Amino acid sequence: MRVQISHKFVMGFIIVVGSSVFLNLLVPRLGVPEAWQQLVSISCALLVGLLFGWVFSKAFTANIGFLSEAAERLRLGDLSRQIRLRGTTFPDETTDLAASLNRVVETLRDLVGTIRASASKVAESAQGLSATSEEMTASSHEVSNTVEQISRGAETQAEMVERSSKLIREMAMAVDLVAAAAAKVAAAASETARTAHGGGETARATTEKMKHLLVDVESNGRQIVSFGVQVQKIGKIVEVITGIAQKTNLLALNATIEAARAGEYGRGFAVVAEEIRKLADSTGESAGEITTLIEAIREEGQQVQASMKQTLVEMDSGRSALDSTGRAFDEIIQTAVNTQTKATSIAELAQQQTDGAGKMVVAIEEIAKVVADNAAATQQVSASTQEQTASMEEMAHAAQDLALLADQLLEAVRRFQLGSERA
Amino acid sequence: MELVLLFRLADETYGLEVAQVQEIVEAPNFDYIPLAPPPFVGAINFHGSILPVIDLPGYLGFAKAERDGRVIVLPPHICILGLTVTVLGRIVPLARESLLPPGGDRQQDAYIRGVINHCGEMINLLDIPRLLASLEGNTTSI
Repeated sequence: MRVQISHKFVMGFIIVVGSSVFLNLLVPRLGVPEAWQQLVSISCALLVGLLFGWVFSKAFTANIGFLSEAAERLRLGDLSRQIRLRGTTFPDETTDLAASLNRVVETLRDLVGTIRASASKVAESAQGLSATSEEMTASSHEVSNTVEQISRGAETQAEMVERSSKLIREMAMAVDLVAAAAAKVAAAASETARTAHGGGETARATTEKMKHLLVDVESNGRQIVSFGVQVQKIGKIVEVITGIAQKTNLLALNATIEAARAGEYGRGFAVVAEEIRKLADSTGESAGEITTLIEAIREEGQQVQASMKQTLVEMDSGRSALDSTGRAFDEIIQTAVNTQTKATSIAELAQQQTDGAGKMVVAIEEIAKVVADNAAATQQVSASTQEQTASMEEMAHAAQDLALLADQLLEAVRRFQLGSERA
Repeated sequence: MELVLLFRLADETYGLEVAQVQEIVEAPNFDYIPLAPPPFVGAINFHGSILPVIDLPGYLGFAKAERDGRVIVLPPHICILGLTVTVLGRIVPLARESLLPPGGDRQQDAYIRGVINHCGEMINLLDIPRLLASLEGNTTSI
């Protein structure tokens, strides 16, 4: 049963007053002399008052002492024990105060525990943060190195791009030269085709002339053959003449023989026969000469015919040579036309190549721009990385500060003893 | 002076007096005489009668040579016979006084009556009677 201290004081006062009243009533009945009655009553009343006051104040003082002792412990940071007042039948405000103090201790214990755990965690986190920031610093150093490499690579790339651009320009110039050469080739092929055309025309005209000549030679050959036939006819006539001359000779011989047989009478006849024989001989000789001449003419005619045949053969071979020459000219024309076509297509291709080379130059210049942008971006990245490194270092410092703060906090809460029941 | 018909037998020049020549005829071909002895080369139609012909150069032992297309026909009172020659020549007048006797061992076989120098050419004069006698002696045995 809870009783307030003020009530306890009132109750004590009432009890003391009541006891003095009760004693005043009781003492006369006890047979105490009258003279003493007043004294005994007052003494008893005082005694009761003293007793009550002692008991009450002792209990109160003890509680207050407990409380002040607990407060002192709290001041020293000992949170390991709870405040326990002596058991009482009538708890009062001190009990409340003790309970409040206990709740304070409890709250403080929770607080300090939480602070400790949090500080430990903060310290751990700060250490982790420090380690992480160191790693990040290392990483950003690597990033910085890499960025430097990239920067150098970008320079090399820029040089390469410059060289590529130069090479492509040279290639474009070479392609222009090729195009010019192809145009010259086309012109030369055209000239060749024209010349070959003229040559073919000449060959054809020559072939025509040769054909005419061949016809003439053939008719000449026919004329010579007919001439030979005529000559052979003459030869036959000469043979007849020769035969006649031989017969005449024979007749003259026989006439001479007959004349000789006739003796003196045949003498004149013999002379005539001799003359006839001479004429026949002369005719025979002439016929022989004619035959010889005819033979010579025939041989010459045969030679002419042979040479004509040879000429015909040669002319034929010449004609076939001319034909093949014409065909060769045609082939030359064809080849020249093909060459011209190819040279033209080469020129077109070279033009396309030149265009392509120009586009490549443009693309290379764009690449160069991109490379320059890359280099600039790389520098920015480098700067950012340096900034990041600085930030990392600052962060590392801050983490160290944080760890220090956490240590200080731990140090600050270390004097709170939480006892064994709380870790 | 006497007229002599000149002809060649192989490379030798022979002569025959015109008095011993009946006629000269052309004879391109001969008719074959069956079983005729070797000197006879055939027969020809001489003015309607058959005239046997002998190979004179072959009979006199000359090497085979071309034959003239003409044949010398002997007079009928001497012999009905034709003679082939290598080449028939002309009729020339020769002086009988210039006839030289043949010399050497050929005389017996060559039937030469004598040798006449005509313009630097030696002409063997054919001995017809001896030739005919030889022929008869050689052919009657058949």
